[in-house]
Amino acid sequence: MTRRAVLVLAGVWLAACSPAGEPKGLPLRSAAGDKRADWFVDRAADAGLDFVQVNGMSGRFYMPEVIGPGVALFDYDQDGDLDVYLVQGQPLGPGAPVSRGGTPLSDRLYRNDLRVEADGTRRLHFTDVTAQSGIDAHGYGMGVAVGDIDNDGWPDLYLTKFDAPNQLFHNNRNGMFTDVSKKSGTDSRSWSVSAAFVDIDRDGWLDLYVGHYLRYTLEGNTRCMSPSGAPDYCTPDSYQPLPDRLYRNRHDGSFEDISARSQIARAFGPALGVSTADFNGDGWLDIYVANDGKENQLWINRRDGTFENRALLAGVALPLTGKAEASMGVDAGDFDDDGDEDLVVTELTGEGTNVFVNDGAGVFEDDSARTGIGPASTGLTGFGTAWFDYDNDGRLDVLAVNGAVQVIEALRQAGDPFPVHQRRLLFHNAGGGRFDEVTARAGAAFAVSDVGRGAAFGDLDNDGDVDVLVANNNGPVRLLVNQAAGDAHWLGLRLVGAGGRDQVGARVQITTAGTVRHRRARADGSYASANDPRVHVGLGASGAPSDVVVQWPGGRRETFSAVAADRYTTLTEGTGR
Amino acid sequence: MRRAVTGAAAAGLGLVLAIACGREPSGGDKAPPHQAATAEVQSVPLPDVSRAAPEVQAQLREKHAVMTRVVAQASSSPADRATAYGDMGKLFVATELYDAAARCFSNARLLAPGDMRWPYYLAQVARLSNDPPKAAGLFEQVLRLQPDHVPSLVWLAEMRLAQSRPEEARPLLVKAQSLAPGEPAVLYGLGRVALEAREYSAAVSALEGVLALAPSATRVHYPLAMAYRGLGDLTRADAHLRLRGETAVPPADPLMGEVSSLLTNAAALETRGVQAMDARDWPTAVTVLRQAVALSPDNAFTRLNLGTSLYLSGNRDGALEQYRAAVRLSPSLARAHFGIGVVLESRRRDGEAIDAFAAAVRSDPEYDEARFSLANALRRSGRVSESLAHYEKVLERNPATSQAGFGLAMALVRLGRYREARDRLERDARAFADQPGFAHALARVLAAAPDDGVRDGARALALVKPLAEGQRSPAVVETMAMALAETGRFDEAVRWQTEALSLARRAGRSDLVPNLTANLRLYEAHRPCRTPWTDDDPVHHPQPSPD
Repeated sequence: MTRRAVLVLAGVWLAACSPAGEPKGLPLRSAAGDKRADWFVDRAADAGLDFVQVNGMSGRFYMPEVIGPGVALFDYDQDGDLDVYLVQGQPLGPGAPVSRGGTPLSDRLYRNDLRVEADGTRRLHFTDVTAQSGIDAHGYGMGVAVGDIDNDGWPDLYLTKFDAPNQLFHNNRNGMFTDVSKKSGTDSRSWSVSAAFVDIDRDGWLDLYVGHYLRYTLEGNTRCMSPSGAPDYCTPDSYQPLPDRLYRNRHDGSFEDISARSQIARAFGPALGVSTADFNGDGWLDIYVANDGKENQLWINRRDGTFENRALLAGVALPLTGKAEASMGVDAGDFDDDGDEDLVVTELTGEGTNVFVNDGAGVFEDDSARTGIGPASTGLTGFGTAWFDYDNDGRLDVLAVNGAVQVIEALRQAGDPFPVHQRRLLFHNAGGGRFDEVTARAGAAFAVSDVGRGAAFGDLDNDGDVDVLVANNNGPVRLLVNQAAGDAHWLGLRLVGAGGRDQVGARVQITTAGTVRHRRARADGSYASANDPRVHVGLGASGAPSDVVVQWPGGRRETFSAVAADRYTTLTEGTGR
Repeated sequence: MRRAVTGAAAAGLGLVLAIACGREPSGGDKAPPHQAATAEVQSVPLPDVSRAAPEVQAQLREKHAVMTRVVAQASSSPADRATAYGDMGKLFVATELYDAAARCFSNARLLAPGDMRWPYYLAQVARLSNDPPKAAGLFEQVLRLQPDHVPSLVWLAEMRLAQSRPEEARPLLVKAQSLAPGEPAVLYGLGRVALEAREYSAAVSALEGVLALAPSATRVHYPLAMAYRGLGDLTRADAHLRLRGETAVPPADPLMGEVSSLLTNAAALETRGVQAMDARDWPTAVTVLRQAVALSPDNAFTRLNLGTSLYLSGNRDGALEQYRAAVRLSPSLARAHFGIGVVLESRRRDGEAIDAFAAAVRSDPEYDEARFSLANALRRSGRVSESLAHYEKVLERNPATSQAGFGLAMALVRLGRYREARDRLERDARAFADQPGFAHALARVLAAAPDDGVRDGARALALVKPLAEGQRSPAVVETMAMALAETGRFDEAVRWQTEALSLARRAGRSDLVPNLTANLRLYEAHRPCRTPWTDDDPVHHPQPSPD
């Protein structure tokens, strides 16, 4: 007998009135059937996300200015919708701004007050709840990771920094957080950007991988110039990379630094992106690290608390040319639906995004050119990225946010005050291993040129398609609300353990009317950001119920039958068959 | 929406040229130049060059003035004007002002349609602007003018690869190979085409050919490894992965060579010097960086790079001079202090080296290489207790720094803190199981530490036995003897110690003989060793940083 724990969110949202009694927020309607409508619309300002990142630049070309920020989507209050955490910069050096319009520069937490009207209209509105959250983020913020460190079912928050200790905030389950950085032992002071929570030892507790970037101080800033002698941002080669850290969860709120014992500190570069998945199909979670200008690492879990870097022989350390490229954002996903995790890695202008296709055993082919993604992205510097099915046709597409890290002379000649902005890229999975660039058809939000960095992917309005929250450097946050999916069907899964913790790393095989798809629950990947931990599956024209086989991170395999389409369903470990 | 305004100014100079040799209207970059009927020369105003170095600004202004004068002169021939535009364009390419460069080369191409240089440079501008399709069209134009131009064949193939059209790249490279059989870049391209097509045998053949022609092209080892992997030869794949590096295989390209030598300002020279350093071409790096220092004597970073190039080319006096100059210019430049320390310790001037390393660490407390060198120099100088904190600090930041772990353990041994040394070695022997030095050192501490609570002869024997079976070095054989003696097997200890003596003599290590002999006498007297290492043992005197 099939037993399922089911939590239906879509369609039966109980709309609580706002304090003023008036509905707030912008009504969102589906663009279904309207071929002329934009696929994505930026609703950030309308929905109350009025955040602008300040990178603290003072004209001295300090490198941290162009590295952040990240962004997180997570349901901190467990009310069924995704809230938003935005990372802020700080003044860097004398002469840099200390506030923005009188508002102190600090990270912000926004609560999602989504309302669904009786006619199905969704009203997205966000309320800044930073002050009452107890979150006091110190220092220059870089990125954010989300994970439930104590298995209480409430997501906690890890913040990465430049020139300040990283911070871990425990979710108190009452809308407030407590800073447990010191006690946790994860308060590394080394410059870090991306981090990921991952259960490396199958003990049912989330461990933490922190990617570290460069050994850099403002005082030791190297003066870099273009060949003509014009000042510019340095490349990472100007500084020494820092080893990453792996922390094992001790189950008591503290973590043990096992970087040496686990072997992961043995090989390192300037880490910018981290993605965790079972790359070799042995049921244990591995770690992929995207390094800036150095070989990437693929840490294969040896199931004994240690890892082995197999990136080179696996074919994911470098592209086929053998040139160490500037890897930034990364995501793992099964874009060809053959049951294994493939990689997309964003790179510097002139290099092009890399796509590494897995053969199932953790051996990859560089198909960057073959997919079409590499050539189409050569002119841009990519950061946040993800495999996601924007049109719910059942195939994983790709989005990348872009922005250069050195002055674009043509923009400067045009008088641009911060001449590094670039447009976003959207690729549609055409099947057969090919992707079409469809940016120009995605709407006005994709014609905007920004200094894109972090990007978090998730269904903010719970309407069954994946939206994108983009964190821009020295610019406003963008909330790209998806209108592309139309009438296509979908399946939403929340995969949780007995305690209610999101089981990030769980893999699912979904069979719908004879079609098999593979997905993974993950919050990590992209760039310095945290994604919706729910699994979202486009079903195309079929609204039939699906059979779902879950491979839980702890090794258990369970089947859940006849899971309904067009709604979110919670699958709890131990309740399947 | 913010967008760059990159389009060329439409107003021309009033020079409307009737190109007599064609009948068809201009079809843009895809049209062969000889078919252009009429086109307009574009104006080329001087872009904003205010951010460039003063000498580059002057160079640009001067060249622009020359160009303006030549094109305005009624007596100038089209070829003169084309050359004036082309020379200006090359300088714009060198200064990365690509839009202005494109306008210049477009004008030059209109004025001298039979000159392959101008579409070639236009193609390079498109390539450098990350526009492979446009670059490809322009390289095709060049090849219509000069079908045997090997750089254009190679670059066009490169553009086809960038466009995911390897099958179009292949014939271009085959033709280039017939024209220039010894050009490594051609073979490299053929190897990449074969790899894209998953023709692994062909890829191996081509890429091995590159390495035969250009053994220093270390970047080739990676695609070659992937080709061997494709053939299932993981041994060769692994061997090439170990040899991989970043030295590329660019085609011989005299026209682009003209561009790279145009700028002679300090920043450009420094860029070229650093490129030479990256290629480990120390003589070139030294030459170019000396020129940069001559132009910009107050730039501490240039002197730092020159110092490093000099050091790595064997000129330590010269290196020291540059590092000291860098420190005078920038007293907090940690890397220059470190450089001074490295030179001084190589000359056994540890006292001064310690001061330099300490200055580096004061300037940059996270400078682990400097801190590690400081710890080693302190230990070498007998200031062992001072070294401990520095080793610990390095390990705190990177626990995988095995050399720091070993240094710390040996410092503890030297201080007689055997229990802590044992614990450290226990931990590191587990963490670095592939580095037998830890197990060996642990065995020796367990065999011969004076602290009764630390010794464990049986474990020492178990640890050293497999090492001795694999490696018959005097040190390992001596540790075997120590462990045997500790377990009361003195006759065997005597035999092993005798072998250690014999090995030392055969290896010419007469310095080891007195201590080995002294221990032999102990075992002959049925007494165990209680000195894991004497104070003069090399293990307590870490070597200076390697070159």
